[in-house]
Amino acid sequence: MNAGSVTALPRRTPPAILVVESDARVRCLVSDELRGSGFKVLEAGSAEEALMVLDSVRVELLFVALDLPGSDDGTETARLLGARQKAMRIIIASAEEDRPAAPGSDGPDLGDLGPLVRKPYHASQVVGLVMRSLNWPGPG
Amino acid sequence: MSTLSTNITAEADSPLQTVLVVEDEVLIRLVIADYLRECGYRVHEAVSAEEALVILQSPEVSVDVVFSDVEMPGSMDGFGLARWIRANKPGTQVILTSGAERSADIAATLCEAGPLLKKPYPSQDVVDRIRQLTAKARRA
Repeated sequence: MNAGSVTALPRRTPPAILVVESDARVRCLVSDELRGSGFKVLEAGSAEEALMVLDSVRVELLFVALDLPGSDDGTETARLLGARQKAMRIIIASAEEDRPAAPGSDGPDLGDLGPLVRKPYHASQVVGLVMRSLNWPGPG
Repeated sequence: MSTLSTNITAEADSPLQTVLVVEDEVLIRLVIADYLRECGYRVHEAVSAEEALVILQSPEVSVDVVFSDVEMPGSMDGFGLARWIRANKPGTQVILTSGAERSADIAATLCEAGPLLKKPYPSQDVVDRIRQLTAKARRA
């Protein structure tokens, strides 16, 4: 092979995902599954922690539960976190009992926030959704 | 992978050890958890001693070493967590860290590897302490 014909492809850094979930067991399991799929995963147990992380580290995708403690309106919290980094994708985890924000709607009014996964979910469901959202690992 | 990463990965014990980092300050937790993962450890994170108990009692999770802060909000501090582990998970090693001098004597009676790590600690000191503990456990 001629050295000139070899093209060095740039190495893609694994996308960083912030998992915001107050249930330690759920957060541990889903974070572990995402790491197993090659993502860099950051964990936050509350909205306050998530804000600190988002103000310090660049994150490609936010996976946030709507039922965080201390938050009356999970959708509003998700919007607040989502606005912290403009290019960041968002996936919402919502329990059936989360109150819909829009009267008469079937679920929370998430607008264009991002796709939603219903709790309880399988960690593999979330991994699939994250891969599709980020187009990771991409063609190759 | 960079040369540095290759070297520090090679330092980790084999087979893969699991470390539970218990720290309520998210940015400190993020840094040490990230460093330990770079060193080849599997790492779970807990925001509080209560969360640590949830993870330690989770059937899906097995933890070899708990690295915990002493001062944490909630009904249980790092000492309480260490006592619980000694009583209920005797095979799990504990390393405590604290910013307070007063904690040293109590920690010495609860940690197999001697007095606690004083904050701020170099990340490599945590790895050294884990390696000492796991080597000692293998010899026992």
